[in-house]
Amino acid sequence: MQQNHFEIFGLPVGYQVDRQALAKRYRELQQEFHPDRFAAKSDREQMLAMQYAAQINEANNTLKDPVARAAYLLQLRGVERKAEQTTADGAFLMQQMMLRERLEEVREASDPQAELEELGAEAAALFSAQEQAFSDALAANALKDGESALSKLQFLAKLQRQIEELEEDLLD
Amino acid sequence: MALLQISEPGQTPEPHQRKRAVGIDLGTTNSLVATVRSGTAEALPAEDGKAILPSVVRYTDSGIEVGYGARAAAGNDPYNTLVSIKRLMGRGLADIKHFGEQLPYHFAEDTGGMPAIETISGAVNPVQVSAEILKVLAQRGAGSLGGELDGAVITVPAYFDDAQRQATKDAAKLAGLKVLRLLNEPTAAAVAYGLDKTSDGGDVTDKTIAVYDLGGGTFDISILRLSKGVFEVLSTGGDSALGGDDFDRVVAEWIAAEAGLGTDLDAGTQRKLLDAACAAKEALAAEETVAVAYQGWRGSLSRDKLAELLDPLISKTLRACKRALRDAGLSAEDVEEVVLVGGSTRTLRVRDKVEAFFARKPHADIDPDKVVAIGAAIQADVLVGNKSREDLLLLDVIPLSLGIETMGGLTEKLIHRNTTIPVAKAQEFTTFKDGQTAMAIHVVQGERELVADCRSLARFELRGIPPMVAGAAHIRVTYQVDADGLLSVTAMEKSSGVQAEITVKPSYGLEDTDITRMLQDSYANAEEDIAARALREAQVEAERTLEAMLVALQENGAELLSEAELSELEQAMQSLRQAHNEGTADEIRSQVEALNTLSEPFAARRMDSSIKRAMQGHSLDEFDKP
Repeated sequence: MQQNHFEIFGLPVGYQVDRQALAKRYRELQQEFHPDRFAAKSDREQMLAMQYAAQINEANNTLKDPVARAAYLLQLRGVERKAEQTTADGAFLMQQMMLRERLEEVREASDPQAELEELGAEAAALFSAQEQAFSDALAANALKDGESALSKLQFLAKLQRQIEELEEDLLD
Repeated sequence: MALLQISEPGQTPEPHQRKRAVGIDLGTTNSLVATVRSGTAEALPAEDGKAILPSVVRYTDSGIEVGYGARAAAGNDPYNTLVSIKRLMGRGLADIKHFGEQLPYHFAEDTGGMPAIETISGAVNPVQVSAEILKVLAQRGAGSLGGELDGAVITVPAYFDDAQRQATKDAAKLAGLKVLRLLNEPTAAAVAYGLDKTSDGGDVTDKTIAVYDLGGGTFDISILRLSKGVFEVLSTGGDSALGGDDFDRVVAEWIAAEAGLGTDLDAGTQRKLLDAACAAKEALAAEETVAVAYQGWRGSLSRDKLAELLDPLISKTLRACKRALRDAGLSAEDVEEVVLVGGSTRTLRVRDKVEAFFARKPHADIDPDKVVAIGAAIQADVLVGNKSREDLLLLDVIPLSLGIETMGGLTEKLIHRNTTIPVAKAQEFTTFKDGQTAMAIHVVQGERELVADCRSLARFELRGIPPMVAGAAHIRVTYQVDADGLLSVTAMEKSSGVQAEITVKPSYGLEDTDITRMLQDSYANAEEDIAARALREAQVEAERTLEAMLVALQENGAELLSEAELSELEQAMQSLRQAHNEGTADEIRSQVEALNTLSEPFAARRMDSSIKRAMQGHSLDEFDKP
């Protein structure tokens, strides 16, 4: 049976996802299709259950993650992206460079923790704004704008990861 | 042998007989077997009343000794008495060089990639040694439950990589056990504590749990979310070479330094020092200061001094906790329950540090040595089909990322760590040179960018790629990880319609033929007939297949099959029954295979029908809501 990730969970196709409904439905489906539930069934059925459970997991991971979800929604509309695709928005790139420079200088700041927190809050706000931009672009079927927003989400997600890593380093 | 009774389709089968299932904690220091009886999980004691079996195997010229007796002999017979063998499971010779100096064994020179230890009864590898421990536990389980075991859940540290898991499964196979599942130790502990029930017996809807598991040789931290019987592992981390043995080692080094023994010590002295260190460490749980004596030297060890010695090691574990929390997107405050597992969490300093880190008193009321086996027994009972805890489901994750080597010795990750299993991921690669007809695929596991820093799991070649210009071929590589956390890899060239395909099971230098040979070796010693064993295994497989098929036919055979299909299946079942009763192992296997192949469309239809039902049930739910 061919189902898209949203259909698996009975959720409407769109960028906004009800996280609680997703989590609840995910657990219900795994209760039914996890290989553990097929331990007494035939080998073929065990194999099919493993494949479907893997599909449920893949769908859940994609829909849970704001960046993967955006990429998947574009894919559903026929947009295949290359991994190293980047944005042509000069102002955005400039802003990213500034943020990265600040990240590199955090260690030298008088209060690195506070500086890092501020940076984290800024990155989070920028991320939310791009999520909104993506959601709007998708609703308007403006796929080029959607791709651009997705590239920016990827940039910002990477920045957020780097902030977290530095946070961990500072704590040690 | 009693023949299996099989009822005709449509008739009620015999009432379900309770199956014999055990949970086994195959530990670095100690091992245990547990089972569920009358609704309660309990560790099974040996005849002497002790549930713990020290994971020590001694080879003598008259046989093999496992447990307390072997452990007592470790100091006097260090080369033939193998302790902490779990540390070597799934390890290559290169790893042994890495931490081999801490182990007082003579490693055999040429063993085809897997370390083997020279003993008085020949060279043995870690899989064989572990199998000896498992055999003792399996016998204990079978004796206690009154018959051959139907299956076992064996626990592994969450942080075990693919090779270590594979080695554990091979050891079980060698010991003649049917493995229902490899279960991560921390997950087992969370199950044992039954944290999924509120104090009045209701279902917990959402709770975050941290399991801190410090054993003899490994450290694991797992963060789980619990909701209505489903244990979902959010993240896991740890160190597969850090444990109580290291505590003993630092204390032993301190004693050696204080006593002026120098560093170049023989195996017997090392073993005795470690024993003295371990005793002092354990005594400090009750005393502020303990006297330590070694040969002529006398001194004392205080709790403060012990803390000073251990803190660097404990800090390492807390850093891993931080990382696991971050991977789960949580912080220490979000954790609502903390569970302590592993003998090394008896050390007070560990408890204090963990309590301070999570700002919460940890659970430690179930014996930390038994808690893992008990959780495994509960899971085994569910998996074998004894309907004790129908809502219990464990969703585990893969502990380390799985990747592939790309140009320049770099790792491209296909499956990231902490991804819920089972999981399958595919990625396309292409050729580098014009006319390239083969591609080398190197499967690695680990978090680092460079292949050289990751663990190499398997290499294989995809051949028969039609010659094309560079970059024109589309080679799809698929990684599939099953619910035991074991990986299989498939590669396929698909651009020109020509397909080449190969599947590998990554290994650690141990081939299926090696296992067969080791099995033969062990039967040669155990006076057991290989042919009889193979026949029995084939018969069990036939029984399982027939039973599954009967249940499936009863559930929806009439609905999903035409009369012709149904009668074909019934004929195949009849042939299998006949082979089961009269045939050889090979004949039975080929009938099992025939029935499986014939029932393939039926299995697919059943799955589709379950999926449709799940979807319908769901949409009805939605309509019911006001």
